[in-house]
Amino acid sequence: MTDAAVDRLPPRPAPGRFTVLSGLGALVLTVLTARAVDFDPTGLVTDLTRPNSVVEGLLDPDWSQIWSRRSRRAFIETLQLAVLGTAGGSIVALPLALYATDYGAPNRVVQVVLRLINSVIRSLPDLLWALLFVSAVGIGALSGLLALFFFSIAVVSKLTADTLDGIDRGPIEAGVAAGASNTSMLRTAVLPQILPSYVSFVLYGFEINLRASAVIGLVGAGGIGERIQFFQGRGEWDKLWGLVLLFFLVVFLVERISIVLRRRLV
Amino acid sequence: MIRFRDASVVYDGGVRALSNLDLEIGDGEFVVVVGLSGAGKSTLIRAVNGLVPLTSGHLEVNGREVPGLDRTGLRELRSEVGMVFQGFNLVDRTSVLNNVLMGRLHRVPTWRTLLGRYPADDVALAAAALDRVGILDKARVRANHLSGGQRQRVGIARALAQEPSIILADEPVASLDPPTSHVVMRYLKQISNELGITTVVNLHFLDLATAYADRIIGLRAGELVFDGPGEDCDAAVFESIYGRSLTADDTMDKQAAM
Repeated sequence: MTDAAVDRLPPRPAPGRFTVLSGLGALVLTVLTARAVDFDPTGLVTDLTRPNSVVEGLLDPDWSQIWSRRSRRAFIETLQLAVLGTAGGSIVALPLALYATDYGAPNRVVQVVLRLINSVIRSLPDLLWALLFVSAVGIGALSGLLALFFFSIAVVSKLTADTLDGIDRGPIEAGVAAGASNTSMLRTAVLPQILPSYVSFVLYGFEINLRASAVIGLVGAGGIGERIQFFQGRGEWDKLWGLVLLFFLVVFLVERISIVLRRRLV
Repeated sequence: MIRFRDASVVYDGGVRALSNLDLEIGDGEFVVVVGLSGAGKSTLIRAVNGLVPLTSGHLEVNGREVPGLDRTGLRELRSEVGMVFQGFNLVDRTSVLNNVLMGRLHRVPTWRTLLGRYPADDVALAAAALDRVGILDKARVRANHLSGGQRQRVGIARALAQEPSIILADEPVASLDPPTSHVVMRYLKQISNELGITTVVNLHFLDLATAYADRIIGLRAGELVFDGPGEDCDAAVFESIYGRSLTADDTMDKQAAM
């Protein structure tokens, strides 16, 4: 008992070669890319102090946009896009995720095809979906709706698929042993297990879509983004910032509500 | 009627779980399969309802040749064979009644299960099954609010709701304490006797096996090493099944006393 246990601790193992090499690699890559894009922190300060109408607008935003009929309409359109896109996309995402699992797929072919569809949908960002549909069906809310629909499928099916991987397989075995059809088994043995998570993912998808709806409007897919771009084009920065701050407030409120709801779910 | 003839199961990687098994289990028999873990008990039971396919040989269940069944044939076979699991395999997040109704899935149309609208006959059968294992009052309770013994009784009710001619029970009491184990075993035995359901139970406790079995089947390394009535199953026989003499681990009462 004379020497303390702490002195007899085995020595801390030296960091592995992989840790050292990947750490060095990350450092070298960061420095190289910073040089490649001419990163210079002084530009940040000098450009901000220069007279700048954009920043002046931010310091003195014009709140009148709250009452403007056209801005209000754009807001409502954004909310409608987010609700419809999320609802439609989430409904499609559920079977896409369920039938792509190794226990839920009716056969190998269906599974491979569904997984391919899922990964294609997931690989496109919201803005690209919007560009795609703006060029396919023209400028307006419909292309925004389609973009958010596919973007919701991507988000909800990805998160749901991860949850499906981690469920208790016991009830699945029970369902199969009872002679259930594949779909009946998924409905009774799997769905009750993932339902709270799924609803939470739908709410999360709605939050993301609300934010995305502002971005996709910039390429002409309807909603608040179109209005933002309109003020940008006219150089009316005070009105633009008034609108953006209002949008921020709406997103913040929706997120708070959604987070409270999701916490109660899981 | 369950009849294995020269049946073998070899898993990927070369593990021989069943080796040239010849075995016949008649209608209404209550059979307990004993053996060390890895002796092939689970494989034997899961071969009967086609969850584990035979690698070679023949297996006839209720007049069907199991190895030749397609997807539809397997579902028909499984509709006649109820199964009870070691880990209960209940859906925790739904009611006891919904869990028991899973036993009716072979008959209920898929669209009805999607909507959760089960026909009245099927709900009646599920209720009768719950009543038989004495937990009808728990029907609307969520499955995760039950104790282990109650959960296994729900598992039995789910198998019973299928109106099966065969019940397979894979280590049904392995996660339960001794008194609860006896309750579950008594229900299994009683149901088998009263309804004439052929029952195959895997157990690793020898005292439980001799207390309840009409007939004991001993497996060792996938081979049949004993087949006879429970009273013939003495310490010498168990030694041949387990490859060593009995220890406290092998009987539930002695293990509980430790």
